[in-house]
Amino acid sequence: MRDLFKKRPVTRIVSESIASPMENTAAPEVPEGLWKKCNYCRKPLFTDDVAENNFICPKCGGYFRLHARRRIAQMSDEFTEWDETMEFVNPLGKKDYESKHRTAQEKSKLNEAVVTGLARLEGEEYVLGVMDNRFMMASMGSIVGEKITRAVEEATKRKLPVVLFCCSGGARMQEGMISLMQMAKTSAALKRHSDAGLLYISVLTEPTTGGVTASFAMLGDIILAEPGALIGFAGPRVIEQTIGEKLPKGFQRSEFQLEHGFVDAIVERNDCRKTISLLLKLHKNGKGICAMHSREGEQAECRRMLEFAGKEEYTVYDKGFFEAREKEFSAWERVQISRRNTRPTALDYISLMFDSFFELHGDRGAADDGAVVGGLAFYRGRPVTVVAQQKGKNTAENIKRNFAMPSPEGYRKALRLMKQAEKFSRPVVCFVDTPGAFCGIEAEERGQGEAIARNLFEMSSLKTPVISFFIGEGGSGGALALAVSDRAVMLENACYSILSPEGYASILWKDTSKASAAAEEMKLTSYELKRLGVIDEIILESEPACKDNIDDIVSDMKAALDSFLSSVSEEGAEATAEKRYDRFRSF
Amino acid sequence: MFNKILIANRGEIAVRIIRACREMGISTVAVYSEADKGALHAMLADEAVCIGPAVPSESYLNIENIISATVASGAEAIHPGFGFLSENARFAELCEKCSIKFIGPSSKVISAMGDKANARKTVKQAGVPVIPGSDESVIDEKRAQIIADEIGYPVIIKASAGGGGKGMRVVERKEDFEELFIIARTEAVNSFGNGSMYVEKYIEKAKHIEVQILADKAGNIVSLGERDCSIQRKHQKLIEEAPASSLTEEMRRKMGKAAVRAAKACGYTNAGTVEFLLPDSQTFYFMEMNTRLQVEHSVTEEVTGIDIVKEQIKVAAGQALDFSQEDVKINGHAIECRINAEDAENNFRPCSGKITEVFLPAGKGVRIEHCIFHDFKVLPFYDSMLLKLIVHDDTRMNAIRKMQSALGELIIDGITTTQDFLYDIVHEERFVSGNFDTGYLK
Repeated sequence: MRDLFKKRPVTRIVSESIASPMENTAAPEVPEGLWKKCNYCRKPLFTDDVAENNFICPKCGGYFRLHARRRIAQMSDEFTEWDETMEFVNPLGKKDYESKHRTAQEKSKLNEAVVTGLARLEGEEYVLGVMDNRFMMASMGSIVGEKITRAVEEATKRKLPVVLFCCSGGARMQEGMISLMQMAKTSAALKRHSDAGLLYISVLTEPTTGGVTASFAMLGDIILAEPGALIGFAGPRVIEQTIGEKLPKGFQRSEFQLEHGFVDAIVERNDCRKTISLLLKLHKNGKGICAMHSREGEQAECRRMLEFAGKEEYTVYDKGFFEAREKEFSAWERVQISRRNTRPTALDYISLMFDSFFELHGDRGAADDGAVVGGLAFYRGRPVTVVAQQKGKNTAENIKRNFAMPSPEGYRKALRLMKQAEKFSRPVVCFVDTPGAFCGIEAEERGQGEAIARNLFEMSSLKTPVISFFIGEGGSGGALALAVSDRAVMLENACYSILSPEGYASILWKDTSKASAAAEEMKLTSYELKRLGVIDEIILESEPACKDNIDDIVSDMKAALDSFLSSVSEEGAEATAEKRYDRFRSF
Repeated sequence: MFNKILIANRGEIAVRIIRACREMGISTVAVYSEADKGALHAMLADEAVCIGPAVPSESYLNIENIISATVASGAEAIHPGFGFLSENARFAELCEKCSIKFIGPSSKVISAMGDKANARKTVKQAGVPVIPGSDESVIDEKRAQIIADEIGYPVIIKASAGGGGKGMRVVERKEDFEELFIIARTEAVNSFGNGSMYVEKYIEKAKHIEVQILADKAGNIVSLGERDCSIQRKHQKLIEEAPASSLTEEMRRKMGKAAVRAAKACGYTNAGTVEFLLPDSQTFYFMEMNTRLQVEHSVTEEVTGIDIVKEQIKVAAGQALDFSQEDVKINGHAIECRINAEDAENNFRPCSGKITEVFLPAGKGVRIEHCIFHDFKVLPFYDSMLLKLIVHDDTRMNAIRKMQSALGELIIDGITTTQDFLYDIVHEERFVSGNFDTGYLK
């Protein structure tokens, strides 16, 4: 039809066009800089829109690289820059280096590829360094290395945390071996900072590669990453050429690094300020365990059975009450109750007991295990480290959580976080809920036994208090690896055993159907374990724990935690570790 | 005058604008979505540029692509039509930045009149009567309650940035106010990211009468008379007529002057419409100003003989209006029916599908603006309006008879339309008598 329409231009009489002259106007054109193209979706975008959206593509959510000054403005309320002028050095005496360097300075209006200084964010003072990709790919030459080293040294001197926003092409080729030495220099400065018990957070942004990844970028106590950032040692092109294979999509991106255990959390740019501020607050006054005092009245309502300091204590109820309760369910029934999928999981308790829980991922070695969750949180306003075995509520979640059966990576993540807690003198709160450590080929390949053993070994002398809550299943060594603790608190219907009753029956009687009989003689219920001295306290479940009575249970758990923290605060970390040794020595 | 104009729209209005341009010797560039490749506007224009996939947000609302198409095709101006980007201040602003003439008012005026609370304040200062209500936008429910109590119930709560009924609540009783205000505000925050609200007297039954104005850059503003748009369903106009037969000559003059004052107060240029509500024959209140061409502009064209689209283009090109208020004469009566691809028997559910047969009525005083043809596919992505049937005759009664006759002749087969529903209305005694208000279809 299009071709059937006739489109001959109108017939004009010469005078007509002169009769109505157009007002003087410029030809339509898009002014320079009005829009830019998104590198991810390739769509054109208005520059103002991009800036308004924190340099995130409004169409696809892709991240534009953020200039150092903009990042600093986002991350601080006040900023005092350090080392604004640094003398240019040319260790290889390369001819064109100086002019290249000067051009980069002029274009970026920066003296080098990193800006460092003292920042204040929501009242928290810290040392901030931000790299800027526009400056020779933010490669690390001696000035970059020097500025970072000086900033870290100054932070050590002033006892301040350090936050570095990393992005770099790697070492600066123009400076040869002197550039390589910056890796060692910056790492050494960070080691002293860490040894002083101070916090270092690195934030990895697009792209963080080469010598920067292999030095300060990967040394954070906490490593955060922006979504989709390229993070790696060797560049993808180099890897492809070396191995002669095409790399899979998403290789070396932030999400890949998270999955492989090298990044604690991926933080959206719009949440970054909030996150850094929270993490700084979680590490404020990190020294020393202070007493926790529960609110008046809360203690009185406790439905707990306590025993510590050698004497037995019953709160509210008398001894007969507990004896009657014990008979309510058989051991086998309690095993089944402990496995119910209506039972609250660790994250349910965590969300009710703590504030601002911030999950940290990864074992810094191979993977992030979904069966173990860990992170930082506030408990009554003071920071704690939380480590837990996490069950799923449905099949999809259980696949992600591997039915709460941790792999070696899970135990290694747990240990990493506990060692971090020791560094920052935070109490460790563990939640045990596992059928057992994962039995699988990969688990054995990566050393399941070694991972559990290492946890027992290290936890025994951890110089910070550890409390374990048994909330469901407590399967053998897999449970013990989160339970070498100063106090063991068990929900009434939780279980803790050498292995599953089915396994016990199979080994001893070659008959798994005798599991119920096995349960009765294994002494795996809270009451039996209390008598054996394996656990210290029982928290009653008015009915088998579920979402209806979780609030009561949480209030008792908090009372248990309060009394634990107030008792350990008096004795000090060394003494606590000593007592922990004695506790397990006695078995 | 412009050499080339890009029409950033689709459907009958794009066709309407292309025709006006062609008559003026201006080349046209149509833009179309992937789904609209075979649409009439894309075939009629001198050039056609595909601007993206079917979903409007990716094509007809895709500012970047439309501006690129304009610059690439060398068009000097964009006519936005109605809907889509026609009242998007940012789009107008970007056109200004790119030296593209936006055929409509300036971005400043669009944004000033687009903020309902601000528009109200502006025209009130110019002496135009407004519905009793809050002068400033309010966020706090307690403050809003005081205003509502002063106005007297029923009141209507509206979102300043509002539209489409979002953030709107009618409150009949004082005791419900606070709760409904909070609900409306939450809705406004969720829909527009802005919780500023205003409160007005709720007028349940009224005539909806609007005045068409034209303003040039030299500051000449004329009124082209009014239209009665009271036959509505859920704020969607179905039948419009000009002039409004219920108005006295004095009211007509007053409203025309008020509309011009409102336009002057905000520094208006190009074509615009000032909407009024008339709770009775002696009272009119400013409702809002539409800063664009309207669907029903054609009834005004019929009774004034002025081609509003051509005037828009001339004004945008910097020409002064070549007629004054005295030159505007209203001749006879015009009625428009909007035929939508909707099923009136099933809650006006939009219908899509292929049109298998079309027969269009004709004759003296019968005008049709449409975009359909044999085998035309009605798409689910866009507005359902297919065709406007406009009739013009010497008296209202004769115009109604002409509409009855023409609607009877019209055939659109293959999909369900609102034709029969309208055919019934134009035969109803209540409609013919002219004694109806916005509650007609309730």
